[in-house]
Amino acid sequence: MCSSSNSIIQAQKLVDQLQIEAGMERFKISLTAADLVQYCQEHRRSDPLLTGISASSNPFKDKKTCVLL
Amino acid sequence: MATKSCAWTGARTRGESSVPHRSGFFLLLCRFYLLPILKPVLYSLLFSCLLKEWISQFLNVCCLLMQDGKVIVWDAFTTNKEHAVTMPCTWVMACAYAPSGCAVACGGLDNKCSVYPLSLDKNENLAAKKKSVAMHTNYLSACSFTNSDMQILTSSGDGTCALWDVESGQLLQSFHGHAADVLCLDLAPSETGNTFVSGGCDKKANVWDMRSGQCIQSFETHESDINSVRYYPSGDAFASGSDDATCRLYDLRADREVAIYSKESIIFGVSSVDFSLSGRLLFGGYNDYTINVWDVLKGTRVSILFGHENRVSTLRVSPDGTAFCTGSWDHTLRIWA
Repeated sequence: MCSSSNSIIQAQKLVDQLQIEAGMERFKISLTAADLVQYCQEHRRSDPLLTGISASSNPFKDKKTCVLL
Repeated sequence: MATKSCAWTGARTRGESSVPHRSGFFLLLCRFYLLPILKPVLYSLLFSCLLKEWISQFLNVCCLLMQDGKVIVWDAFTTNKEHAVTMPCTWVMACAYAPSGCAVACGGLDNKCSVYPLSLDKNENLAAKKKSVAMHTNYLSACSFTNSDMQILTSSGDGTCALWDVESGQLLQSFHGHAADVLCLDLAPSETGNTFVSGGCDKKANVWDMRSGQCIQSFETHESDINSVRYYPSGDAFASGSDDATCRLYDLRADREVAIYSKESIIFGVSSVDFSLSGRLLFGGYNDYTINVWDVLKGTRVSILFGHENRVSTLRVSPDGTAFCTGSWDHTLRIWA
């Protein structure tokens, strides 16, 4: 008896959650994907890993010969 | 003080395809600095660098967490150790940097998340000043400070995530909805954002509203545990990496999966994913010791990076985007720039 009321409560929670999710406003993927692409294009230049940066400004490049300790 | 050595080798990449755009071609330079950490052999066989986080781009420090109970803060440029905190619990699984850089939060199999203030005074016993913030009923898998030093978000093997106030240790909000262990979480990037995404062993990635505790969206397309989730830089999408050897991109406004990054030749799970600054590249650390770089928009693999001698357990791009760092079970942290 207890287990069946538990499963009813659980099922009710699931239904509530699904109803909340179903009520969400969704945009068409053609629009949102275009936004993602646009974001990439806009920030392309500020992405050092994508466009590469000159060795002099690359903070991780060794400036002198490396000594093995 | 552990010895440090500095070495770099030539690039060892094999470009799979190029990303044609106006500048012509894509080139990824790979150099790595070896940061060996000397630890007892027993631990080295079992576990290694688990996690690290980049602190502010100005300091360029990364925080290294090792599962034998020490949290070490490195300076990424000079490879000096800045701080080392020994945790009373040896199994640490998660760590996070406070936005101000003044504290570190860590936790693991002790089911708790503790916050340690960092100080430049080397003589100070940092472990004595620790503050226990979060309390779960199972291991702590991930933790993250929200926009301020005052709140921490944690996820746990007990299937819940929780938001805590650091000062009082009080539980502010809890998030129930996962049917199994929650393995990872990531906060939405915007300043005003109050959502976060979590991924778990129930193969689901859930998006939550931090104020109400409500699960807003749920995505269940992975075929195995989700090990890592990361928001796209604009906050409109997120990527996830899973034990099913795929990374997937989910669009939040369209509420669906939009891309799968996989190859038949890749059969080992992904432990960690991160985006480059513009969101064009997705870096994935895999259990087959490699890092695969994916073109987010085209869905193709751009490059595969070799260098680690054991599985890559964690990967993070630096905040200024000039490099990314990988940690591995071979006891090394490598910085790729």
